[in-house]
Amino acid sequence: MSNNTVNLKTFRYNPETDQIPYYKTYEIPWQEGMLLLPAVKYVRDNLDETLAFRDYCCGCSWCMSCLMMVNGKGMRTCSRLLQEGENILLEPMKGFPIIKDLVVDFGINITTPEGVYKKMEGTVLRRVND
Amino acid sequence: MRIKSDILVIGAGGAGARAAIEAATIAPEMKIVILNQGPVGKSGLTAMANGGMVWVEHPDDSPEALFEDILRYGCYLNEQNLVEALTIEGPQRAQELINWGARMIPFESGSGSSPSGGAKRHPHPRGHYIPGAGYMEALRNEIARHPNIIVLEDVITTKLMTSGNRVTGAFILNMRDGKCFIIDAKATVLATGGLGEIYPHSTNAPFGMHGHATGTGYAMAYHAGAELIDMEMVQFTGNQLYPPWLLGNPELLCMMCGGKYINALGDEFIQQPQPRDVIQRSAYREIKEGRGTKRGGVYIDLTRSPLSGEEIEDQLKHSLAEEVAKERWQLIKRMSENDPDPKKWKIEFTPGGAHFFMGGVRINEKCETSLEGLFAAGEVSGGVHGANRMGGNAMVEIIVFGARAGRYALEYASGAREMESEDISKKEIERLCGFFRNKGIPPKAVADRVAALMSENVGVARTGKNLMRALSGLQEVRENDLPNMRAPSGRIFNQVWSEAVQVPCMLDVAEMIIMSALSRTESRGAHFREDFPETKSEWVKHTMVMKKSGRMESGTVPVTITKSGPEGKI
Repeated sequence: MSNNTVNLKTFRYNPETDQIPYYKTYEIPWQEGMLLLPAVKYVRDNLDETLAFRDYCCGCSWCMSCLMMVNGKGMRTCSRLLQEGENILLEPMKGFPIIKDLVVDFGINITTPEGVYKKMEGTVLRRVND
Repeated sequence: MRIKSDILVIGAGGAGARAAIEAATIAPEMKIVILNQGPVGKSGLTAMANGGMVWVEHPDDSPEALFEDILRYGCYLNEQNLVEALTIEGPQRAQELINWGARMIPFESGSGSSPSGGAKRHPHPRGHYIPGAGYMEALRNEIARHPNIIVLEDVITTKLMTSGNRVTGAFILNMRDGKCFIIDAKATVLATGGLGEIYPHSTNAPFGMHGHATGTGYAMAYHAGAELIDMEMVQFTGNQLYPPWLLGNPELLCMMCGGKYINALGDEFIQQPQPRDVIQRSAYREIKEGRGTKRGGVYIDLTRSPLSGEEIEDQLKHSLAEEVAKERWQLIKRMSENDPDPKKWKIEFTPGGAHFFMGGVRINEKCETSLEGLFAAGEVSGGVHGANRMGGNAMVEIIVFGARAGRYALEYASGAREMESEDISKKEIERLCGFFRNKGIPPKAVADRVAALMSENVGVARTGKNLMRALSGLQEVRENDLPNMRAPSGRIFNQVWSEAVQVPCMLDVAEMIIMSALSRTESRGAHFREDFPETKSEWVKHTMVMKKSGRMESGTVPVTITKSGPEGKI
């Protein structure tokens, strides 16, 4: 690995085709001031179009749609600055059912009166351990 | 599969959420389904809005005074019945939102009526600073309190179902399993937001990520046969060039931190406060006439701000979540290593970052569209803001008209009989699955082509020649690229597929903007024609586009006037 790159070791799981999750590493060019969330989008736009992650960004670190486990710690990937030559372990946010790859179902655990919030109808939700 | 509902709300941003809450509160026995492209409160445009909200609060202020301000900023193209509703109902709707737990920070007296958009300064405060995600959290929690609201997240609406002139529901693609279904509804509320992503630089798509602003709502309404007005009215804001900035809209910097607009010669070329369109045109003129920077921009100069470095820092931190403000601020400091003091910053920007869309689906004061059973509220609707939106009005528009849409959709649904539309499932599924192929053009490349055409030809300054060029460019994309657009196979959360589904909508919306911009042969507000620089009194009317026998037809419709205003004068 050259110095001016970043390695993203990324959790992959597609319930349609995969029996168990696996990890895939993507090497991407590093730039001064690069943030993690746009880096993941770089992977999808240029290296692997099948990678799923929540690609929405509110731009002000408010909405937390981009929560992921980064090196084992849950954080907003939109505010995580990448260092030159860094190795990142990227996994879906803990505590939520995984839909695919880095995408989780946030709706299921939101802090609202219990049992009132409706789960989506007609959805097949699968957990990794199902 | 078909789901039956009384009211279907498409979009769970501010307007959609408010519509669902209103209907659910009045009629707990009604079944209301609300759809969202992502998790509610963690997606869409309301959650990223991060600025002002204006309503009448001070005893010296009045709905009439606000009405006059909005009309002046809108260059008298506003639907006055809608503006009346906005100014009168704003305070009540805002108070509700505060009661539901939304956090708002009042602006101090004398700091201006709004943090952004250059609204006129008042002796009394009129604006509040409101973080969009907190606003959405309050609405989401309120949705959760109503058991008769069913929330469907991660779904894309691809088509409105119709039966003659009546909208009877929508066709849905569920991202979570890649399956399609139809939702039948007695009344449908369209609350799908704006279209910033059809321009390469937009405050609707921070860091080049998605903001769910592809204009699908406009396109769906158009294909169902609705009338759309003022589609040429795109509000632009500054697009940051340097330094790589991490706080978003540079215009906010200017308003909140007392920055000055400076050209490359060091002259202040426009003094605050000014409407957004005026700032954009002035910056465009400076650059065109050779007073721009090497990067092709102009500056927002914080060195001339009356505030101290610490005060500027405080203002900037306002726009971030408390727990991340510190972290993010350090990030900004690190990135501006040579000049850690904001008092030394000169921010370089170009005009032409798409920010808001004034035009949209034509509605009346009941949020009824020209189609039976279809209601619209929020950015997807047109007419409230006229030719230029005053800063702080979007956040109040969505709750005022969201509530109205919910109320009147409910009224309609109570009296309407169920109507099943023709089952178009087979055809629509075929169309959607047609994108699965091995070779072809990725949707992002097609979207980028559309965006490049729009920014080159349909930006801040327009000419008939450029608009025609954009139109023929669009036609080429339609004929050559669209049929070859591809997505990889796989049904579950295939986001390249979902991009492909939305690109045809972007093309339709771009065409509507160009057609309307061609037909308005004058300059007014955000629409600046270099070949027709004058504002003409005979053009106090809306441009209108609609689909007639498969083709896009443009025309005009009159402006609704309820109070006497200086018609056409600016």
